[in-house]
Amino acid sequence: MSPADAHVIDLGDIRAADAPRVGPKMARLGQLAAGGWRVPDGYAVTARALDGWLPAGRRSELERLLAEPAPDPAAAARRSERARALVEAQPLPAWLADAVGAAHDRLRARTGLGASLRVAVRSSAVTEDGARASFAGQFGTYLGIGEPADVLHHIRKCWASGYTAGAVAYRRRNGLPPHAHDLAVGVMQLVDARSAGVTFTLDPVTGDRGRMVVEANWGFGESVVSGQVTPDHWVVERASGRILERRAGAKDAWSVFDPEAGRVVLRPLPAGLARTPCLSDDEVRYLCRKAAELEAAEGVPQDVEWAIARGAPFPGGVFIVQHRPETTWPAAEPAEPAAKAEPAAKAEPAAKAEPAAPAFDPVRYALRNVFKVPGR
Amino acid sequence: MRLGVPSTEHPRIVPVDDYVRDELYPGYKQAFGSQPFVAGPVRPFGKADNSRYWLRDSLHFSEGMVPASIALLDDAQTWGAQLGAEIVGVPPTRGSVNRLAGTHVYIGTIDVDTEWQVQARAARFAEYVTPILADFDRYWGMRAAELQSAYDHFDALDLTAMDPGQLWATVKDAYAFHRRAWFIHFEVMYVLTANYLAFYGLAEEIGLEGSLVSAFLSGRQTFYSKTDEELWRLAARARELQVTGPLLHEPPASVRTKIEALPGGRTWWHEFGEFLRTYGQRTEETCRIDTPPWIEDPSPALYAIGSFLTRPAGFDFHAARQQAIAERDAQIDAARRSLSGSDLERFDQALASNQAANFAWWNEEHNYLIDRRAAIPVRRASLELGARLTDEGRLSQPEDIFFLFKPELYAVMEDAAGWPELAAMIPDRRAYFEEWRHRGPELPTMLGTIPDTVPDPIMIEVFGLSGHFLRTLKGTGQAAELRGFPAAKGVAEGVARVITSVTEISRVQPGEILVCGGTTTEWTPVFGIIKACVCDTGGSLTHAAIVSREYGIPCVVGTATATQAIKTGDRVRVDGRQGTVQVFASEG
Repeated sequence: MSPADAHVIDLGDIRAADAPRVGPKMARLGQLAAGGWRVPDGYAVTARALDGWLPAGRRSELERLLAEPAPDPAAAARRSERARALVEAQPLPAWLADAVGAAHDRLRARTGLGASLRVAVRSSAVTEDGARASFAGQFGTYLGIGEPADVLHHIRKCWASGYTAGAVAYRRRNGLPPHAHDLAVGVMQLVDARSAGVTFTLDPVTGDRGRMVVEANWGFGESVVSGQVTPDHWVVERASGRILERRAGAKDAWSVFDPEAGRVVLRPLPAGLARTPCLSDDEVRYLCRKAAELEAAEGVPQDVEWAIARGAPFPGGVFIVQHRPETTWPAAEPAEPAAKAEPAAKAEPAAKAEPAAPAFDPVRYALRNVFKVPGR
Repeated sequence: MRLGVPSTEHPRIVPVDDYVRDELYPGYKQAFGSQPFVAGPVRPFGKADNSRYWLRDSLHFSEGMVPASIALLDDAQTWGAQLGAEIVGVPPTRGSVNRLAGTHVYIGTIDVDTEWQVQARAARFAEYVTPILADFDRYWGMRAAELQSAYDHFDALDLTAMDPGQLWATVKDAYAFHRRAWFIHFEVMYVLTANYLAFYGLAEEIGLEGSLVSAFLSGRQTFYSKTDEELWRLAARARELQVTGPLLHEPPASVRTKIEALPGGRTWWHEFGEFLRTYGQRTEETCRIDTPPWIEDPSPALYAIGSFLTRPAGFDFHAARQQAIAERDAQIDAARRSLSGSDLERFDQALASNQAANFAWWNEEHNYLIDRRAAIPVRRASLELGARLTDEGRLSQPEDIFFLFKPELYAVMEDAAGWPELAAMIPDRRAYFEEWRHRGPELPTMLGTIPDTVPDPIMIEVFGLSGHFLRTLKGTGQAAELRGFPAAKGVAEGVARVITSVTEISRVQPGEILVCGGTTTEWTPVFGIIKACVCDTGGSLTHAAIVSREYGIPCVVGTATATQAIKTGDRVRVDGRQGTVQVFASEG
């Protein structure tokens, strides 16, 4: 097996055990595809490809840059900007560029879309979605990429996104090496979504496992996942499939593909759609059933991102885009409706809304800006 | 030794006599500093103290300290602050030290001056403070319960029925508890100030007035706002029961007799007694063993009720609180509207953190569990001991015991032979205390070297040692207009009343503008009758700032020199938004 083959892997060849190479996100998708679930097709560039890619001089330059904690937020931002520029400017070696190009050609062929194929290029941290730490939202995701050269460029951007000030600080806090040794990149067919969103197999606010929650918007799921709109919201009773609550969201925007920019962008939602629920009741129940099946397969509560392809007959158009263990609630929480879940809510109050570290830590702030402790 | 079998033999002594020395090594006598202090005990001033700054703490101790109070001061602002700062690991300061000018307390700080120590402290500070802030209610609840259970213990003791051994053990227990209470005080204080100062710093970073921060945190009811509410209620009850005459016109000492002679008097006095049982466990100043709690001498409460009766309308606490809360929320909304993106996110998180662990609230609330109460068990047990020593002819009155230093008392309780010599010193010590009590108002606000800036942010916010304050003290700020910290908004013009000690508080007339060194909890009732408040010391977190906002009157603190620049009777204009005080010609 050539190094290139080892580092660029088609989704059909990825299994759960590949998580250390491609990240748990891609590994799970590969496993799902193998199990017959409908997922977007794609390929992954392994985390170790990074090791084989950055020249030694660049690596030591990076390490020098990140060796010490920055004295203040402005310096941290400057350093991370330099690190990102350094990574982004470094062209991929020919062997890796060729391997990605070949994988992309195979994907075009498998999907039958040829040059009209659009993909999502997502960073996938190999430590991501671990039992305790959630990296969600820390790293770059680029939607609607078409040309192979553009894919290569965004793979570099994904790696560079491992050097945001937030990501560097996160690694430092968790005792990880400061350089982005841990990023794989997933390239997946972008499902042309009519509606998209997330299904939680427990109530993410109370932890009640008797209730499942669906949140969704028209268009690509980005507007829901990034929290840029208040999505439509359904609560479904797990046992009966009965819809207990339905709340129309303040959907003033949606994520759509902009052919001119060649990207997925956030645009105002046409007035006619804003007040119309983006899913039928049947779709809501179907999504919950599928999520419950996934949960049963995984053994712990899940949040499941999905997309419904435009124009596809129901339920054939439903794709699982990704899923992960629900990190807000301890996996051991018994599957029963429980006010008992209260203490856990206290222990990790903002975990759902704020997967990343809080933006304001009074103790760190006091040390740095009030007591002015050097290096803090 | 087998457990449970009492030994009937004489205890075996292995004598230490062979090893008794007065030096640790030849030529080395143990110094004061090797006592169990982090940085040093209460001392008189020495020449070397000229090189540092010393702030007169009239905020907490306006009238001077009797000898027995000095051990309590040692526990509190000296040892308690030093241990608290050490354990919490506050990076820039090792807490406070105290010096006495005569009997009056000055406070200084101990800066941490090596880079390694700052770093080491910062590391343990983060570890210590973070979990406490994350779960402050539980943490403070635990500490408050510990304090309360101690008070339940001491309050239930029947001191007069105790045998001498039990009583002496109680004195020692009370002192031990006092020390513990003050460690709790500073542990919590340093933890909370970090949270507050972070919010303050953030506010200024994102373009808000730092002075708004304590307003954002106002409106939460404290034990003292409940006390004031009860005092107003008792004033209203006095009207209903038609017993206002004695409260308005009699000196406190004769109020009870005069009231109980009236038809509704016994009912009112009974209700007043009920009030004192809950709210009367408070002394007028901190660490002052010589000041009685309200439950022993209710004069301050009677005075407050009397002064409230001069205002016929009463005071609608509910409406005032609703208004204070509405105003607070409006200020928060206005601040949030001016912010967006990550600034807004950080603001919201800082606000939430400070609402959960609220220094502006705790700074008032904790007084009834610590500052104003911790010394009461020591006072009670000491007075009982003093009474017995008086009966034995060793002292001429029970209060004489306050004129013995704690180490002297401990020594003489072990070896009674020292009594005549000690007792002989008491009259001179009384005279010394009285002499210095009168000299109190003329003492300088600051002694030693007045710095350009103070590195300890806690001193800046609690005592108001801003750059402006320090420049004014240096005498470069002479003007008809005083500047200070804008503590509570509003503008008021009126006649000034300069008060230098809480014991003079009964001189304040309704509608006057109070000018003082600083206020504490004991001054709270006066805020119900004054038009505005001006203080020499204080920052955003001082008592006067917090209470003025609750009462909706303008307040300027940290003027440095108001009590010297303003005379009683001067007409002044207080602008609580600008932080200015204009002094016009005297009216009297």
